[in-house]
Amino acid sequence: MNQLALLQNALVVGAILFSLGLVGILTRRNLIVMFLSAELMLQGISVSLVAWSRHHGDFGGQVLVIFVLTVAACEAAVALVFVLQAFARTGRLDSAAWQSLRESNLPRRVDRELPAVDTVPPTFPRLTPAGVLPAADENDLLQREHV
Amino acid sequence: MQAMSPATLLVLVPLLPLLGAILTVALGRRLGPRGHLPAIAGIAAAAVVAVSLLLGLGREVGIGDAGHAPTARPVEMVTTLWEWAGVDAAYAPPAGSPAAADTTRADGTTELRSFSIPVALRLDPLTSTLLTIITCVGLLVAIYSIGYMHDDPGYPRFFALLAMFVFSMTMLVAASNFLLVYVFWEAVGACSYLLIGFWFTKPEAAKAAKKAFLVNRVGDFGLAVATFLLWMTYGTLNFHDTLSADGTILPGILGQSRIADAAGYVGGAVGTAICLLLLLAACGKSAQLPLHVWLPDAMEGPTPASALIHAATMVTAGIYLVARCAPLFVVCPDALALVSIVGATTALVAALIGTVQNDLKRVLAYSTISQLGYMFASLGTGTMLGFTAAIFHLVTHAFFKALLFLGAGSVMHSMGGVIDMRRFGGLRRLMPITAATFLIGALALAGVAPFAGFFSKDEILAALHSKGWPDAHGEHHDAAPASGHAALPLPPEEGRPGGNSAALVHFVSRMTASSESASTVPALDHPRTWQTLFWMSLITAGLTAFYTFRAVFMTFTGPLRVPDEAGHHSHGGAGSAAHESPPVMTIPLVILAIASAVSGWWLFATHALSTFLAATPSLTVPAVTATATPPAFHFDLALQGTLAAALGIAIAAVGHLGRRSDGPQIERFLGPLGTLFANRFFIDQLYKGLVVKPLEGVALVAAAFDRYVIDGLVDGIARIPLALGAWVRHLQSGLVQRYALVGVLGTLLIMLALASRLR
Repeated sequence: MNQLALLQNALVVGAILFSLGLVGILTRRNLIVMFLSAELMLQGISVSLVAWSRHHGDFGGQVLVIFVLTVAACEAAVALVFVLQAFARTGRLDSAAWQSLRESNLPRRVDRELPAVDTVPPTFPRLTPAGVLPAADENDLLQREHV
Repeated sequence: MQAMSPATLLVLVPLLPLLGAILTVALGRRLGPRGHLPAIAGIAAAAVVAVSLLLGLGREVGIGDAGHAPTARPVEMVTTLWEWAGVDAAYAPPAGSPAAADTTRADGTTELRSFSIPVALRLDPLTSTLLTIITCVGLLVAIYSIGYMHDDPGYPRFFALLAMFVFSMTMLVAASNFLLVYVFWEAVGACSYLLIGFWFTKPEAAKAAKKAFLVNRVGDFGLAVATFLLWMTYGTLNFHDTLSADGTILPGILGQSRIADAAGYVGGAVGTAICLLLLLAACGKSAQLPLHVWLPDAMEGPTPASALIHAATMVTAGIYLVARCAPLFVVCPDALALVSIVGATTALVAALIGTVQNDLKRVLAYSTISQLGYMFASLGTGTMLGFTAAIFHLVTHAFFKALLFLGAGSVMHSMGGVIDMRRFGGLRRLMPITAATFLIGALALAGVAPFAGFFSKDEILAALHSKGWPDAHGEHHDAAPASGHAALPLPPEEGRPGGNSAALVHFVSRMTASSESASTVPALDHPRTWQTLFWMSLITAGLTAFYTFRAVFMTFTGPLRVPDEAGHHSHGGAGSAAHESPPVMTIPLVILAIASAVSGWWLFATHALSTFLAATPSLTVPAVTATATPPAFHFDLALQGTLAAALGIAIAAVGHLGRRSDGPQIERFLGPLGTLFANRFFIDQLYKGLVVKPLEGVALVAAAFDRYVIDGLVDGIARIPLALGAWVRHLQSGLVQRYALVGVLGTLLIMLALASRLR
């Protein structure tokens, strides 16, 4: 694989990541998902930076990516605190819960179709308490022996 | 004191009251009930300095010095403090003006004059006399105010204003420059406004203050235009001569070199215009017809302020101005005659109105207008006797009118603010000192023999008489060169050497189109005019005695009556009933009463004042000195004046002595004339209809224009960003995704733009 093709492929991957993040941030209203989408965009850029860095044989781009990662880590901490606080205030992760920040005389945006509420309560996997020898399940043991 | 030069002392006279005013403003609240101290200390020190200056100047002139006879030469001293404004070679006098004649070089080119306004103070007999009156009466009034104004919430403010007024007034009479005179002319007007409106929560007081200020503006306009004209005509505004850089003397308007120069003054149309404008200014400040309407209303102010400002000093500023500008007036006999006509008419009209007033202070206000009219009538004669008599009357009037006002204030203080004479009576039992001093003041005002007003009024009548019947007073009158009778068919400037009268007339017609007619109207300066004025003045003398004693009888004689309001005025004593005023108020009354009793006799017998004033530079103009007569007592005139006064007092006694006086008896007695007098000749109504109402109409139109057109325009412009904002505000929806979208689209746009640029 020659150098140009490598660059091209890496850039395509970066662009795909960036676009996914962009679409995610424009379409999703869940604060955490929006945040993740932003991270995705960041990583897309990082990929293209690394690719260009390699193409030019200049380590500046990679150094920059290291910085981006560091800053992203910090930013993740801060952003998650904001998300947590926002949730504590409204009880919702919906970014539209903050639409009261609009111009006072504009109408409130109401979702035309509310997402269907699950009638069946969600089931969560039950995890084994850590540091305890799991009680042996007869069935399990039997099947294991068959495996 | 010995170490100080007269110049320093002269500066101290206005400076000390100014310091007093500033200290009162700074410390007023902290001093509390002693808030009067800085102001009174300043005025008292100024009074001491003014008296010492007067004595020094008197010695200079030669008064009371047996060693040598009084000098006939002018005595003046000018001290320049600093240059207020100065521009070198700023101004070329208009062609044809005498200033241009002075500055035209031999080769026909014109030398540029420098514009220079020095802050210069002057000391001469006229200024010194007035400084003494202002500071001494000011001091007595200030002391009286300690008692009168006690417990007033504005106590320190009153004394600050009083000291400020004394500063402004002393500066006004000491200024040696028309622009400075204008500045302090306005300053005394401002002090007067503030003191009339001292109780500004009272609507009448606020209205009266506004009225006084606005009416005075008319006169101030005259002074401003007169100042411009003087500048155009004489190329300077200084009274005194100044030395130019190369050592030549630049003659001031009233400087000795111009006075000595026979052709130094411009008569004719432009001179008359200047004089009439100065007369307008004097009419405003001194409350003469037709601008007298503000003074009676000014009585809404505190009585001490009325006594000092609206009786003794400020209202005499007009007299001072005309006397100071005597050389300008004597070359314009018609303007001079008009001064007398205005004065005598005002004196008669005000006296007639005064006869039917029931408010004690208003009687005195109209009496003040009337007495000021006397002074103007005297000034207008243009003779040495006339000028000195006017100032003599100014001095004695300051004493007895201040005394009468302070006495009225004492009555008002005791009656709990009631000043309507129909509501009290017989007060001589309650307030013996006030009654006795008021009586002395009334006798002086009425012109009864040994009291001050008799002598000054006699001199004024003599001055008018000598113009009306010149033959009876010796031959001096024919010798008067410039103020000669209007036998002169042509304006006096025809006689100017230099022969530029045609150019001057052109110059004049350009500046004052209407004054051309001055030379075509029949001359006012005619013996018959003066005879009429003399009889008017004599009638006024009788009326003066009548209304004065009507006030005395109504207030102090008859059965004792006290209004209910008096009971509420408790003055710390156990009994809260009406009472004599405290000593701090009665002592100034007694001092003024003594001055009113003896000053006229003393000044007349020694001729100290007239001799002293004759050394004023303005009065040494040849046209005035030529009319100087040896001092004489005019027995026949004194007899006529005394008879008139006695008749007036007798009628007042018949009408009011010992009677209850609570009805409009005199108005009913006079019939329709009484209605005319009681309504002040309907002059206020005339002004209301002719001036106030049309102006209100204009104001209404202007207000509507402002509200609907100007405001509409402004509001319309304000609506544009509002509309734009309404359109743009949809962007701020509060939905983060929208913002992100806009950001993305914006970035795309920028990138597209960059891409197109790169291509």
